Amino acid sequence: MHQRLEERQSIIIPRYFSSPSLHFRHSSSSAAAATAAPPSRLPIDFLEILQNNHPNLKISLNKYDLDSHGHGESHHPVSPPDAVLYPSSVEEIQDILRLCCREVYREGDVVPTVEIVSVIPYGAGTSLEGHLNFMLPQDDSVESNNDIIVEIPVSLFESNNSGVSEQLKNETKKVRIKRKGGISLDMCNFQSVGELTPGDGFVKVGAGVTRNSLNDALRHTGLQFMIDPGADATIGGMTACGASGTAAVKYHTMRENVLAMTTVLPPQTIASVTNDTRSRSKPRVVTCGSNALKNSAGYNLPHLFIGSEGTLGIITDVTVKIYPIPSHVIAASCTFDDLHTAAEVVTTIRMLGIPVSRIELLDEISIRAFNQSVKNEELDPMEEKATLFLEFSGHSESSVMADLSAAQAVCVDDFEGSNFVSARDEMTRNEVWAARHKLYYSSIALRGGGDNDGEGATSQSTIVTDVCVPLSSFADIITATAKDLRDLDVFGTCFGHAGDGNFHCILPLRPDDTDEYKGNVFKVIELMAERAINVGGSVTGEHGVGYGKKKFLEKMYGGAGVSLMQTIKRSIDPWSIMNPGKIVDLS
Amino acid sequence: MRKILVPIKRVIDYAQKIRVDSSKGPQGVQLKNVKMSMNPFCEIAVEEAIQLKEKNKGAEVVAISVGPKQCTETIRTALAMGADRGIHIETKPDVRGDYVDLQPWAIASLLKGVVEKEDAVDLVLLGKQSIDSDCGQTGPLLAGLLNAPQATFAANIERGDDGSFTVERETDTGTETIKLNACGKPAVITCDLRLNTPRYPTMPNIMKAKKKPVNTISLEDMVKELGLDLDEVLTPQNEVVEVYEPPPRKEGETVGSIDELLGKLKEKGLVA
Repeated sequence: MHQRLEERQSIIIPRYFSSPSLHFRHSSSSAAAATAAPPSRLPIDFLEILQNNHPNLKISLNKYDLDSHGHGESHHPVSPPDAVLYPSSVEEIQDILRLCCREVYREGDVVPTVEIVSVIPYGAGTSLEGHLNFMLPQDDSVESNNDIIVEIPVSLFESNNSGVSEQLKNETKKVRIKRKGGISLDMCNFQSVGELTPGDGFVKVGAGVTRNSLNDALRHTGLQFMIDPGADATIGGMTACGASGTAAVKYHTMRENVLAMTTVLPPQTIASVTNDTRSRSKPRVVTCGSNALKNSAGYNLPHLFIGSEGTLGIITDVTVKIYPIPSHVIAASCTFDDLHTAAEVVTTIRMLGIPVSRIELLDEISIRAFNQSVKNEELDPMEEKATLFLEFSGHSESSVMADLSAAQAVCVDDFEGSNFVSARDEMTRNEVWAARHKLYYSSIALRGGGDNDGEGATSQSTIVTDVCVPLSSFADIITATAKDLRDLDVFGTCFGHAGDGNFHCILPLRPDDTDEYKGNVFKVIELMAERAINVGGSVTGEHGVGYGKKKFLEKMYGGAGVSLMQTIKRSIDPWSIMNPGKIVDLS
Repeated sequence: MRKILVPIKRVIDYAQKIRVDSSKGPQGVQLKNVKMSMNPFCEIAVEEAIQLKEKNKGAEVVAISVGPKQCTETIRTALAMGADRGIHIETKPDVRGDYVDLQPWAIASLLKGVVEKEDAVDLVLLGKQSIDSDCGQTGPLLAGLLNAPQATFAANIERGDDGSFTVERETDTGTETIKLNACGKPAVITCDLRLNTPRYPTMPNIMKAKKKPVNTISLEDMVKELGLDLDEVLTPQNEVVEVYEPPPRKEGETVGSIDELLGKLKEKGLVA
């Protein structure tokens, strides 16, 4: 079971980052030293054991790789892992996860130590609420909460014998529990795109496939994956974060588009390490869901993992729905004198049942940012007023034109919108939606401030937040937020998926901003979240909770709801290996 | 405009990782169980042909491909994009199109025959090169055999009312504009990346494509029909001697300072 002290001493292993004899693929221990990566917090032999059993497993200790795997696309500070691993198979992931909860004897130990390594799966690194932040104390020699002695049942340990005898079942054992750093599992090697069967509207893809490369692989099939968050995220990441985009008003979100998936679960038991690490209880691999469009069989496991943000397991492949490319598409835009009216138009269009494939609302600051970003292209700048961008798609010219006319009537006749223009050609339509997608970056650019020797706003200093509310409240909530921005003199753009009642607020910060300004920025966010909760909406329609929005979960779901989430987390990941500190905490 | 002929090639999909088994010698590149698609530059040529057809009502776009029976699928993709009919010159399954067996000279000879047989071909649009052999020779060879005007690496094509073509060519040193005068021979133009963005065919068009005519004829029969010599066509002019993966990139060295960098550069004789 556990190794005797003398055995451990005979395997003395130097700390890997200073030993030139240990040879990791693609790493450069000299590079790590030269660029001064902080000393690794991982268990001494962790990477060596892995590399010995999986010589082809690529591991990087390069500081740049570590940093890039320790943050997403927003203001949450970088908190890097101690190593980045690039697995290529489910088996490798099982072995890695198994090693993340292990019983060892270290020199000077009185009781054995259970060493726990945190794991965060990595897709494209585009998450927005600190999902990829390892949040580990820098110095692991600090004997804080990190290092506690508990008594735990012997049954939690992997056993040499099959089964646990009645007598052993009640025995407990004293161990020290120590968190020992974190690793990033980069899923880029999971690139499979499955064969399509004619007549089926789904495809099975590896978790590391990005949505654009999936659609490129599908380019001759007549079918496309329709979920379009701004970033070219991976399908695994999109599943883990419950992503969606401008197409949600017609094609919905990942929740409605994932049919099945395969997930490697974290270990339930504590491993002990001898030289043979391939034996015994491997972390389980769950394949859940069904390729059928409807499935009433058992608990809805895929939905458990969708939106779980890497806290419940490593998703390795996902079967997603794909849809025929519409034969006829036409885009349109319309300006309104005020934001509230524009938002009301959206509710009316939805209530009248007019089919839209996209409907986005931009406030006047967003339009200013939008105009700046298309200065170099051939689109004319738009009037700086609240604007709706719409798109209609369908299988026939006449149905699309009928949808367009109906929406036009609402915009212009009922709500006095002006300058209703439509565009049929693909290039213009693509340019409009590309500019809409780039609003995140063009908002930051508009805040700018980087000219006079100082650093301006960047995506690392920008707070981006989103809420989603029932349609009936949408007009009031977005208007109230726009008013907060004006009243508190905070720069922000409000825009979003009006058809779903979901809008974003981009709040770029500059290094020269006062504390008062920053305080006001956070106030805007708090007010948004509170209002959303008060009308029965959600504190996040798309971006997820990460650690940034954990505090709102109790207000949304109450103590019982959060407690149920903790129960689920505890039973699937009792050692809190998977992305600890996100969504819920375990005591 | 009357007919636009678009030769297309079925190659390993550009997004696939190429696997090489060097024990197989010249046949080292693995073709089994690998996703194949239309050569990306051929896709651009098809797209350009369709756009020209849309501007010149009455023009017919004919897609032609030389390869094994699965080439018909590649031709169907061209039909789904808007081509009107296809010609499939079918080779035996073991005949490789990636330069090992079939090479540009043979293809160009076949295409010359097809152009003459079809008659009324105003334009032949090809991809500038295929991504497996990277020769870039089929277009120019065909123009030579036909004694026809040619322009390669087209980034823009305009058709004049007099049947001439004005082509902007992208070269390494800049853009060159060439006019191909109408002269009774088809213009031969090879297409480069920036010419257009190929459309993704929609389902209805994919289904319509299944009903468009594709004339399949074996390579042997076509050679006979065109009065060519089968041996000449099937015997490659160039022999592939060896196929191997490029050696893996060596890790770079990290240096601690500019002085150290300069020192290393001098050591390696890269800086005086």
